[in-house]
Parts: sequence; structure tokens; C-alpha cells
Amino acid sequence: MTKTSITVLVLGFLLLTAGCGGPRNVVVLVPDPDGSTGSISISNKAGQVLIDSPYHSTNIKDSQSVPTPPAVMEKEKVHSIFSKALAAQPEPPVHFLLYLEKGSTDLTADSMAQIPRIIETIQARNAFSISVIGHTDTLGDKNSNLLLSTQRADSVSQLLIQHGVQKEKIEATSHGEENPLVKTEDNVSEPKNRRVEVIVR
Amino acid sequence: MKKCAVLGLFITLFWTNALAWCNETGFIGIVKNVEPEAFIIRNDVSEDAVIGKEIAMGDVLKTGTNGSIGVIFNDDTVMAMGPKTEIVVQKFFFIPAEGNLSFIARMVKGTLSFISGQIAKLSPDSVLLETPVATIGPRGTHFLVKIEKE
Repeated sequence: MTKTSITVLVLGFLLLTAGCGGPRNVVVLVPDPDGSTGSISISNKAGQVLIDSPYHSTNIKDSQSVPTPPAVMEKEKVHSIFSKALAAQPEPPVHFLLYLEKGSTDLTADSMAQIPRIIETIQARNAFSISVIGHTDTLGDKNSNLLLSTQRADSVSQLLIQHGVQKEKIEATSHGEENPLVKTEDNVSEPKNRRVEVIVR
Repeated sequence: MKKCAVLGLFITLFWTNALAWCNETGFIGIVKNVEPEAFIIRNDVSEDAVIGKEIAMGDVLKTGTNGSIGVIFNDDTVMAMGPKTEIVVQKFFFIPAEGNLSFIARMVKGTLSFISGQIAKLSPDSVLLETPVATIGPRGTHFLVKIEKE
């Protein structure tokens, strides 16, 4: 009895602030910030459900009950149940791609021209953390590429520091050839993969 | 001779970078938005969550009656929690060069908005959100979860 009244109270609280009543455990798929929609799988011992359409949701009673088949949840209901969480959502980080000459740590001329924009963004967002990630294409062996991507990341970090960005805010890492922008076979020269990614958070 | 020098340099640089990536004690994300009451509990010590505070693996993120927290992780995963929410960041590894990719969080209760990041793009099976009633596996995507504590 007590348990039922507690549940009603919680739902009641939600009703006051959120409009139409609350399911207990629910998962809703919504569009990504870029407008596309991905997919999610929801599973427990009793079964599994896959959602791949936006604003579709599943309810899960408990860990022994199969999640309900995906059904549409009205946007207003979604936004009211999750209003506080959605309001706390940070802006996605801004990504910059800087390209490099083959086998080198020198930025292309076009990419050098991007540096002022990056500095501006760091200042405008009062960024706390900036990731600088070096990459290579698959030309050459893995170890040399790991080294080259490290050098690339360090080179761009230095450039940012020279332009006034605090050293402590920058984290330089290298992904070698393991995180290509464009998937290629091994040992393929691909300018789009020769890059340093700068992520401003 | 040159090969040895390069190898030596490589080992030094790799080691330096490995320390930078080290996720055991290193930071894996940052608080970007916060409304009190909101806490980060690390090794059983509770501290107020504030903008700019760094998140480490193992941290418990907890909000009070009106609190909220918004976090961006190093792979661009975004987690935003509403009030009365509790989430444990169990595992975070983002080292593609080593094939070490993992994001596992456990949601105890509350409301969460989750946008998956690069770990999910590179290795969809490596991202899991565990809840008391089901496990959620996102594939490059934005989803919302609400869990009511029993």
C-alpha cells in the first residue's frame, strides 16, 4: 500500500511540472544534434528491442519483463519528462580539421588560415578543454604513423600555445592510422586522413 | 643507427603520450553545465559539481531535487542528467591506436539525455548504459532514459 502511494506521489509530482503522466522506466530515441537518427538496442534477461525511428520509445517494467515494442511518444511528452536533463545538455564540441602535407608536420596553407578561427572559438566558448588529435593515412607502417601523428599533434598544440591558448587546457593525443576519416586499404596515401583534429569543448 | 634513434624517440614519445592518455588516473571528461544541487563522488568523497570540473573513471554523478549536470567526455559523448539522478561512469577508454575503446556507465535512477560519441562510431558494441531494468546499447545516436528507483 505504501509503495503504491509513493509511486502515485512521484507521478503526481511529474504531472505538476511535466504535464501528461509518467511511465516508470522508459527509453526514447531522439534525433542527433545534426538531425539524423541512429539506433539503440534495449535488452534484459527477458528479451531485446531495437529502436531506429525518432521519438519512438519502449517501456520496461522490470528486469524480468520484456521491453515493450517501440511506439511513438509525443514530442511534448518527451520534452516535458526530460526537460531538466535536456536543458543541462552542453553544446556539442566544435571540431576543426587541419590538413597536413604528405609525411610532414606542416599544415597546408588553407589550414594555417583556420588557426585564427580556432582561437576565436576557444575564446567565445570560454573553452575549458581543447583536444588536439594527430592522425595519419595508412601509407607506411603503424609505428612510424603513430610517431608522425604524435609529432603532428604536438606541432599544432605548439601553434595554439603561441597564439595565447593556455597550455593546461590542451590535451594532445595521437591515433596513428587507426581512426581514418576516409576508410582505405592499408598503405594508401589519402590527404583527407592526414589531419589534426582540434576539438573545442 | 638512424633506426635505433627513431625507435628510441618513438618509445619516449609513445610513453609520454601513453601517460597523457592514461585513463586510470587521468581525466576523461568535463562538466560544462551545472545547477545545484549536484555532486561528483570520487573514492567515497563527495564534492560539488562545478563548471570546469574534470571527470575521472569511477566517478559517481549525482543530482539533488532541482539539480542537473551536463558533461562532455573526451570522445564527444554528451551526458546530461536531470534532478534526482545518479550515474556511475564505470569505464572510459578512448585509445584507438591500441584498439582500446570502451564506455560503460551504470544509471541507478533519474533522467538522462545521452548522445554517443566517437567510441560508439568506432566500436558500437563498446558503449553500454546499464540500468536496473535493462542494458542499452547505442549506435551513434541520441537517446533519453528515465529510471524510477524501486
